[in-house]
Amino acid sequence: MRLLRRWKTRILIFFAVVGPGFITANVDNDANGIWTYSSAGAQFGHMLLWTMVPTTLALIVVQEIAARMGAVTGKGLSDLIREEFGLRVTFFMMVGILIVNFGNVVGEFAGIAGSLELFGLSKYITVPICAVVVWLIVVKGQYKSVEKIFLVASFFYVTYILAGVLAKPAWLDAMVATVVPPKRELFHRQDYLYMVIGVVGTTIAPWMQFYLQASIVEKGVTRRQYKASQLDVITGCIFTDVVAWFIIVACAATLYVHGYHTVSDAKDAAQALRPLAGDYAYILFAMGLFNASLFAASILPLSTAYTVCEGMGFESGVGKKFGEAPVFYWLYTILVAAGAGVILTPNLPLVKISILSQVVNGIVLPFVLIFMLLLVNKKELMGEYVNSSFYNLVAWATTIIMIGLTAAWFWSLKAGGG
Amino acid sequence: MATLTLTELLGAPVFDTAGNRCGRVREVALTPQEDRARVSQLIVRTKAGDRMMPFSSVLSIDGGIRVATPCSEWPPTNGAEGVFLLERDLLDQQVIDVHGRKVVRVNDVDLHQESVANRPVLKVGSVDVGVRGAVRRLLKGIVPMPALRTLLRRIPPRLIPWEFVDLIETDPARRVKLKISHERLAKLHPADIADIVEDLAPDEREAVFETLDEEVAAEALEEVQPKVQKAIVESLDSDRAADIVEEMEPDAAADLLADLPEERTSEILLEMEPKERKEMVELLEFEENSAAGRMTTEYLALPPAATVHDAVETLRQFEGGVESVSTIYLVDAEGKLVGAVPLAKLVLADQSTPLQSLTADPLISCHAGAGEKEVAELFDKYNLLTLPVVDDEGKLTGVITSDDVISLLRAKL
Repeated sequence: MRLLRRWKTRILIFFAVVGPGFITANVDNDANGIWTYSSAGAQFGHMLLWTMVPTTLALIVVQEIAARMGAVTGKGLSDLIREEFGLRVTFFMMVGILIVNFGNVVGEFAGIAGSLELFGLSKYITVPICAVVVWLIVVKGQYKSVEKIFLVASFFYVTYILAGVLAKPAWLDAMVATVVPPKRELFHRQDYLYMVIGVVGTTIAPWMQFYLQASIVEKGVTRRQYKASQLDVITGCIFTDVVAWFIIVACAATLYVHGYHTVSDAKDAAQALRPLAGDYAYILFAMGLFNASLFAASILPLSTAYTVCEGMGFESGVGKKFGEAPVFYWLYTILVAAGAGVILTPNLPLVKISILSQVVNGIVLPFVLIFMLLLVNKKELMGEYVNSSFYNLVAWATTIIMIGLTAAWFWSLKAGGG
Repeated sequence: MATLTLTELLGAPVFDTAGNRCGRVREVALTPQEDRARVSQLIVRTKAGDRMMPFSSVLSIDGGIRVATPCSEWPPTNGAEGVFLLERDLLDQQVIDVHGRKVVRVNDVDLHQESVANRPVLKVGSVDVGVRGAVRRLLKGIVPMPALRTLLRRIPPRLIPWEFVDLIETDPARRVKLKISHERLAKLHPADIADIVEDLAPDEREAVFETLDEEVAAEALEEVQPKVQKAIVESLDSDRAADIVEEMEPDAAADLLADLPEERTSEILLEMEPKERKEMVELLEFEENSAAGRMTTEYLALPPAATVHDAVETLRQFEGGVESVSTIYLVDAEGKLVGAVPLAKLVLADQSTPLQSLTADPLISCHAGAGEKEVAELFDKYNLLTLPVVDDEGKLTGVITSDDVISLLRAKL
């Protein structure tokens, strides 16, 4: 009894510390993240590790801006865009977000399908069931209690760190590759550019900014309590990227060095955990991927429905009845149903679709960043909490680099397919 | 009476009497301190910059605005501080729909055109919060006007009449200048005000609570979720917060103060009237989860010898909340609880009946240290509306009302 109580206290303390920043970071390592990092490691070995340091810095800065705007204004990002830039801009922004996020939702269901296929379960059965479960969790207002289970299960990511260590990677090479910029020729390769955009797009996903800001507002964080949230955001970002680094290293050490350069399904990606779990690697991987996918599949459609409804001024909230917030519920339902529906298409290349959605994230990211930067630098909105010049430098640099990478990628497409 | 929308008016060309084009409508201004609905000026973008054109010089609106005065006579805009601008301050902003009791976002504004002494007068008729206004704004300038009008006629409007719209202005100076108040909001049920306030951003909540009458603010604050309640009180000045807390039910006020940082609690206590402060300090000493922490100290207690007439007289003087008077308590000379008379019995009895003959049996009470579970069980078992709380010597110290128990149980659902 006492032991149980002690555990209970510990878990309670854990949840008291875990805030929106950490949760967002965890959802960031969703199915799409796992696929993208795994493919990056398998396809390019350590050649993408250099992106981790600048991306982490950018992620911290961007997430901090979102959190700060939430705490200072008490309003969501789409609310602010609407109030400051008007209906037309908001409308196009929301249509864009809807399309991009839909791609991400599809990726989550791809993760559900892929993970359960490892157990020999057909996606035609598992995906519809999971879609219904996800839908019910949210509509019945049980999300908050389920969130805790997801969070605890997220500790699966630690297995990647262990697997990465046990795989005996070329540590020195990995370290060097993390801090030394890559050779310039790599940027002439179309597939490499594609993967760089994908890695950044999955790490700094546009939906995260909307989601984090909304969570901060919902939690009621004010200017005064903001310091604590800042720490929460920074820890979350670092945790995400440490895991991402290890996924890449683990995949490089298990797949890339043995000549397996493509991750085409969950079976391939599961090999990365082999050093840790041997023949049982697939079980570990499947459970981890399943949890990550289901977690994100419940958050993403919901967050999207909130974002769009807030921006467009429709009633929203799981506390409301279907009839009171029809647009909100329909949007949510359609996102879940259609996201799951796409996956039911026979012979779908699940991993490719997932990575594509992350590349689209990366392409759209600068547009979201531009709006965030314009908003956070408005004195009448943020008062003394406007960005410092260092923040502006990092965030604008991220924006410009992403536009540059996208332009280079399109250029390489036009220049004759590689 | 013709209706014109703000979207159509913005960008409309302005012509002088000679037929020369002076510019385009940039903004539509109201002067709420004079008239809450009538358009007082138009800001016109001319070649010489933005100018404030008084609406009284407009001769006609349809097919381009014709004006009687030359644009050189209109003063420059200069920030437009003393006026309310429909595009900047209303369009895309959140307002309170007092009739529908919720927070909505403005998509467009319908202006009603009247004619007074052959001059047009424009008045804000309603705000459009539905799809129609949104579609109009999205497609304006993309789809030709006649086609757009036909399309829009098919979409049912969602309009809120201007008299049911409450504006939210977070800048106190502007609020005073433009006479923006929450008279209409204040007339709603406190629970509805609480729901609306919960939907607002912190600065907006603060704005609402600064303008509401203390009594209304107190009643509404009691209904707000504890987390939001705390945030609101923390954002207010200590003396304003004290004014509101004084008006709250003592038990609710004590719960709220107990949740605040200690420093803040003492600041607020210092601003309170001595009598209320003393009462509050006493309540704050009890543990929140005990019977004493849940009780209110506003109740009716009379000596056993009192009659129904005395009870009614005391009831008339009573300033506390209605929920705590559903039972009247009898206490002896030492303050010990000796009986309880339900209000219903009092109503039915004759004026001269001694209260002692009306007491309910058995007399149920609980000790100040009783836990919340025990309290809830007593309410359930004896179907109580109120439960008296006594100290070690059996003296009446306060009363727990059923609404507190319902809140307590709901928090555990």
